Amino acid sequence: MYDALLFLHVVAAALMFVTVAVFSSYALGARVDGPTLAVARVSWGVGGLGTLLLGIWLAIDVEGYDPWDTWILIAIALWFVAYGASEAADRGGREALAGAGALAQQAVAAHWVRTALVLLLLADMIWKPWV
Amino acid sequence: MSVLAAIRPDEWELPLFVHVLSALALTGALALAATYLFSAWRSGEAAALRLGLRSLLIGVIPSWIVLRGSSEWISDKQGFADLDSPPSWIDIGYMVTDMGLLFIIASGVLAWLAVRGTRDGGNSPGSVARAAAVLLGLLVVLNVVAIWAMTTKLV
Repeated sequence: MYDALLFLHVVAAALMFVTVAVFSSYALGARVDGPTLAVARVSWGVGGLGTLLLGIWLAIDVEGYDPWDTWILIAIALWFVAYGASEAADRGGREALAGAGALAQQAVAAHWVRTALVLLLLADMIWKPWV
Repeated sequence: MSVLAAIRPDEWELPLFVHVLSALALTGALALAATYLFSAWRSGEAAALRLGLRSLLIGVIPSWIVLRGSSEWISDKQGFADLDSPPSWIDIGYMVTDMGLLFIIASGVLAWLAVRGTRDGGNSPGSVARAAAVLLGLLVVLNVVAIWAMTTKLV
């Protein structure tokens, strides 16, 4: 059970990185197009929910971890803030698709904030502060 | 049955972070490049083809280099580099990255040929772009297999 949960949790994290890659290409000047935006949105939705739910499940399943451990609470907080940033980036992506094709500056900024939060999430997972 | 939480030595944290980050970044970049190349095949758009090639050059190749380097780094820290027969999950990781390099090179050459074709004769990307995209798609699947081996620590 643990192996399956951890594997799916990491795959979900990989999906979040698919979104980071797609929006990074937009932020670096690529035109927003239908197929890549669809891949990014689905990946973020599935990956984001997957990491959160599977992560909490792992925290309950693994002896020595608890869902209220500091590093897990930090991860959950980072997750919610990243989701907030992703709303702005996603909105920018949809507007760009409907309009000129270039991601607006605000959406670019939201994307880089989201990327930084995802990196912090990964760092939290590896270092597990105050465990 | 619950599993006991594993404790790692502090000196493993940084190489492990770099390794996991580069693996996730590589997966993301591969998916991006494959999506652009599939899109180029379906739509015939040269712009999507060029973006696919650019994603390979700027995203996939640097991620692969960092992944490969960090795998040696963490393997050395964990003492696996000195073993004559390391565990299967280490071998699977090396097989996927080494095979992956061949796939990346082949896909890059195909994408470059397709870009040249669109410039020279104005041909649409067509089946060459599809072949490049399929190779990258296969590599995404292989990366997931490597993730499975690494997370389950297949012996």
